[in-house]
Amino acid sequence: MLTQEQPSQSETLSHESGAGWIPLTELSRGQSGRVQLQGAATEEVKMLRAMGLRPNASVTMCRHGQPCIVSLSGACGGGCRIGLAKEIAGRVMIEVDSETNG
Amino acid sequence: MSSVDAAPIVGSRIVALLGNPNVGKTTLFNRIVGLRAKTSNFPGTTQEARHARLDGSVLVDLPGVYSLNLDMAESVLCRQTLSGETAPAGVEAEVPNAVLVVIDATNLVRNLAIVAEAIALRLPTVVAVNMIDLANRRGIHIDLDRLSECLGCTVVGCSGRTGEGVDELVQKLESARIPDRSAPSELDAIDAWSDDIYSLVASACVSPQNDRITDRLDRAFTHPLVGVLTFVAVMTGLFWVIFQLATVPMDLIDAWFGTIGGWVGSVLPEGAIRDLLVDGMIAGIGGTVIFLPQIVLLFFLLALLEGTGYLARAAFVIDRVLRPFGMSGHSFVPLLSSHACAIPGIMACRSVPDPKDRLATILVAPFMSCTARIPVYVLLTVILFPDSPAMQAVAFTGCYVIGALAGLMSSLVARRTILKGASRPMAMELPSYRFPDLKAAFMLTYDRAVLFLRKAGTLIVAVSIVLWWLGAYPHADTPQESVELRQQAVLSSDSETIASLESQADLIEARHASAQSFLGRIGSTVQPVFEPLGYDRQLTVGVLASFAAREVFVSTMAVQVVGSDDTEDDGVLSSIANAKRDDGSLVFTRATSWSLLMYYILAMLCLPTVVVTAKEAGGWKWAWLQLGWMTLLAYGGAMIAFQAVSLLS
Repeated sequence: MLTQEQPSQSETLSHESGAGWIPLTELSRGQSGRVQLQGAATEEVKMLRAMGLRPNASVTMCRHGQPCIVSLSGACGGGCRIGLAKEIAGRVMIEVDSETNG
Repeated sequence: MSSVDAAPIVGSRIVALLGNPNVGKTTLFNRIVGLRAKTSNFPGTTQEARHARLDGSVLVDLPGVYSLNLDMAESVLCRQTLSGETAPAGVEAEVPNAVLVVIDATNLVRNLAIVAEAIALRLPTVVAVNMIDLANRRGIHIDLDRLSECLGCTVVGCSGRTGEGVDELVQKLESARIPDRSAPSELDAIDAWSDDIYSLVASACVSPQNDRITDRLDRAFTHPLVGVLTFVAVMTGLFWVIFQLATVPMDLIDAWFGTIGGWVGSVLPEGAIRDLLVDGMIAGIGGTVIFLPQIVLLFFLLALLEGTGYLARAAFVIDRVLRPFGMSGHSFVPLLSSHACAIPGIMACRSVPDPKDRLATILVAPFMSCTARIPVYVLLTVILFPDSPAMQAVAFTGCYVIGALAGLMSSLVARRTILKGASRPMAMELPSYRFPDLKAAFMLTYDRAVLFLRKAGTLIVAVSIVLWWLGAYPHADTPQESVELRQQAVLSSDSETIASLESQADLIEARHASAQSFLGRIGSTVQPVFEPLGYDRQLTVGVLASFAAREVFVSTMAVQVVGSDDTEDDGVLSSIANAKRDDGSLVFTRATSWSLLMYYILAMLCLPTVVVTAKEAGGWKWAWLQLGWMTLLAYGGAMIAFQAVSLLS
């Protein structure tokens, strides 16, 4: 799995990983996508997965910035929101859904 | 079932409640067991769990966890409890006879992961699909029979809030069986398994309206400006309410203990036992219980606020402030509580997940100005600015700011030295906005109140008795001066002169007794240590006496200079302000007052806090470190203040 310390530029990352993958921090408000990868299986990643931020989970950006707030949509009935420090969100790669992308 | 009698010592069946945080597990637990629950710690840890007996079973409400397989303390304890290695005090450490997995009907996919982990335990299992009412209202329909088929165990839909399905749940728990299906154990496989089951059993239509309101609130509450303003408003309101509401019960408790003391004093014959009861025990218990209203209110209001879902948002606002100093948003509630009292503040540190963040928070919590400092702040700011209420207010606020800054800087120092590393970035579930659960808030408050009274109470009382004894013994001979005054009084015929002469004699005797007592002698011996800070013998006694509890300072000074601890009276305040040293100069000069103020802001003058720190931080070395560091800062700060003000004036 790919680990990226500070993935701030989506251009460089899209070469290394799947096309159209961006860090969660770059998802704009209201935009949705699917979690693709979160880096090595550290304790933090295990925790995020257990909280529901797992591969292929559908997320919608509710608040951009520090903290960023995402809603784990679809399956959750709007009941599951996760606030993330920018540092953590920057390590989560997202494949943007085509219908919400631009 | 054969496993029912697997608990020979207490002969009861153990049922463990397992589930994610924010799924209403505790509300459901309260609904099932009512008021029977007890809170106890896991041996050797600060982690606590509630348990209750119910028809020959013991229900244990385990801490909420997202997964059993994390390294977090809660996760480890859940694992150990489920394997019979540990159990909260009062429950025997046995493999539970049944597991009740509580899941959130409105968030089924994620919750299925912990069900998979529970199934893998191969213990009799019942799954409670909680908040089923809320799910129905949101248009989420769950086919419980099919879910039961997929999981291979009993599934009950219920609502801890309304009580719906709870009776059926209790009934089904009796006949819990080991799941007849297995679940995957590998992370990716669990995800796929959850998705499959979800698509089979649930049909959901998400209501976007609800999301939009939550979105707006979330954005406002975490906004760099609006969020901070809201935060300030909410906290000001919280403390305003606490201080307003607490005054009445505090006055009542004060009066009540005064009456009891007076009554005991009048009933018992004069002597050591009466003094011990009245001045030692009743005064000591009263001085502790008087803080109970604030503690109760603080925990109750915080529990309500937490129940609304706001605190999780506020934690992110404050995270920005605390992060540069090596703490995180998780430290916010503990530090906030410490402004009422460091003891509940330090106990609240249990919610800080990162061990180093938690230690840093415990270490600096006592720097926050607690309510016990207020009497000292009031006394000293009035002495410093007798004619300017505005300056008193500024100085008073300044005390809080200095305390908070000292805490932040100390955390920074700790994170650069003994607790190296950056604080853990926050990832936190933001629970839905809800009407808070009053019952849960009451229960939590009750637990905390009992804990406070039992732990801190016994200690404060013991210390009060020791201090009383040190201050009262050995009984000094009556000084010649007062004997003469009393003889004059006997000879005089004017009642005013008699009263004045006798009060003079009382005063002289009280000062003499105070100087001759063990405490007074200790004061004279130790005084040179406090010389650079500008303290004389009497102030040294005041400072030493307040080592156990800082609010003792004002009454100790009053006893020493007036011979009465009736500090309510303005006359007493002014006589403290005008008190003279043994050489006739003023006790409270400008420089000394500043020095004392600095000392009381920074010093760890609270024995119960030392004990609680040792307990919560997991070792006495942390308590000694905290005590040493705070004393060092206080001594240094007070010396600088004294020398600087002396030079300037």
